[in-house]
Amino acid sequence: MVKHLGIVGAGTMGAAIAQLAALAGIDVVLYDINDTVLRQALERLKRSLNKAVEIGELTAEQSTDAFTRIHPRTRLIDLSHSDIVIEAVIEDLRIKKDLFKHLEAGTKPTTILASNTSSLSVTAIASATHRPEKVVGLHFLYPVEIVKIVEVARTEETSEETLQRCRDFLNQLGKTVISVTDSPGFIFNRIVHPFHSEALQILGEHVADAEQIDRIMKSEGGFPFGPFESLDIVGLDVSLNTTKALFESSSGDSRFRPHPIQKRMVESGHLGKKSGRGFYTYEEGKK
Amino acid sequence: MPRVHQPEKAVVYILGDSPMVEEYIVLCSSHGYAVAYDAEGIGAVDASLARKTAKMPENVSFALELTNIDLEKKRKNLEALDKALPVTTAIVSSSVTVSATEQSSWIHHKSRLVGFCSLPTLSTASLVEVAPTVFSPAETIQVVQRFFKSVGKEIELVQDRVGMVFPRIVCQIINEAAFVLQEEVASPQDIDLAMKLGANFPFGPIEWADKLGMQQVYAVLSALHRDLGEERYRISPLLRQMALSGSWWKRM
Repeated sequence: MVKHLGIVGAGTMGAAIAQLAALAGIDVVLYDINDTVLRQALERLKRSLNKAVEIGELTAEQSTDAFTRIHPRTRLIDLSHSDIVIEAVIEDLRIKKDLFKHLEAGTKPTTILASNTSSLSVTAIASATHRPEKVVGLHFLYPVEIVKIVEVARTEETSEETLQRCRDFLNQLGKTVISVTDSPGFIFNRIVHPFHSEALQILGEHVADAEQIDRIMKSEGGFPFGPFESLDIVGLDVSLNTTKALFESSSGDSRFRPHPIQKRMVESGHLGKKSGRGFYTYEEGKK
Repeated sequence: MPRVHQPEKAVVYILGDSPMVEEYIVLCSSHGYAVAYDAEGIGAVDASLARKTAKMPENVSFALELTNIDLEKKRKNLEALDKALPVTTAIVSSSVTVSATEQSSWIHHKSRLVGFCSLPTLSTASLVEVAPTVFSPAETIQVVQRFFKSVGKEIELVQDRVGMVFPRIVCQIINEAAFVLQEEVASPQDIDLAMKLGANFPFGPIEWADKLGMQQVYAVLSALHRDLGEERYRISPLLRQMALSGSWWKRM
């Protein structure tokens, strides 16, 4: 059982994981180097927990209890008692390696050091420490509170004990474990990719327009949404970054080549629902 | 009391890869068509639904050619249909693995042929992709539209390209899943679970391969690779082996 969880990085993902863990009764130290980011994250968490009370998902007591279990900290040493530390900082290998070096020095030898990376090599991150058997990828998907799966990425060095403790921890959080080996895009991003990419390819060849392709995938294929509706929701910039990372980490495999249509749309600022225009136009968030 | 004249049922003649033939027999006969078919390797079909005949019936209103895998056979089927059927009878032919335009180059009466998307299990969908060729006049397209409407389907007109829309996307998803399996990145169970729970796919890629049949998936991917000549349609060697061995996915 995980009693103490450390989270590094109080951005959207870090804060969401903190909330999930706190609601599961786990004590969370939420670390960020930036005090302002940390304060903003706490305000967001408070709002989110209050809202859950308003809509009857939580009692006021559950909400307060969860909030008091989240301890904002700006010193790495405060993570020292953690059973698991999850890193959710910017996707930059140099920064992550440096962080893992410090985490290794600042935690118990038994602490599992996990990365929430979706596009970097967990193996490369692990190489910065002297306990690679304790290093693992825990890829939580956005939005964390809704998506039921977490990809657990093992390197060649990750020990079976570490994996078992991660599986138990994710069970505590009510998540379904997807076991993957450390490889570009793991499996989720990699298999979602052709859903978007092949649709772009078809659009680029003028076989059908975006609305038609969406209609076909929904009516014929039974998908709850079409690929272009999905891209608009994910954000074309976010999806382009994922694709670029896949393309780069696969050493330029042509299946993962970013499509010029998507590049052009990102360049012109049409990022999807959040910018009011993607493949569809949106007014007040509605198509 | 005067007897109400019962109009004779329109006759649909169906040829092709057997799983789809069975599905279309059920679809057409349940919507009031008299169905005749010719297909090898097809299980016992209720005689009240359809009549098996190698000889083409005389009063055929529509011919459906559903072959995706054996294209030589498809060509022979189309040539025979073109010869036997009155010039005015439309041929609606699956154009998933060979374009409708290429198919119309095999026959004399090119204006009667329109392509459509036929893959196993899709006969129950409410929408069907239809691909006219440069030779298809508006009347032929209307006839085909009325036919699909009469069996409960809306049509979506797409450009006549190999793979069309749904087969191309779903087969590429299955191909990527096959690469993942081949590289032993994850188990088939976890692949399906991840995509259903994580991305709300209606089926996992492995389940989908099972539903469509590996040989159909392989035929679509081969056609894309052949037609577009691009590296991105390279087929996972594991997928090829599964299709060639005629067996389903090896469960790990």
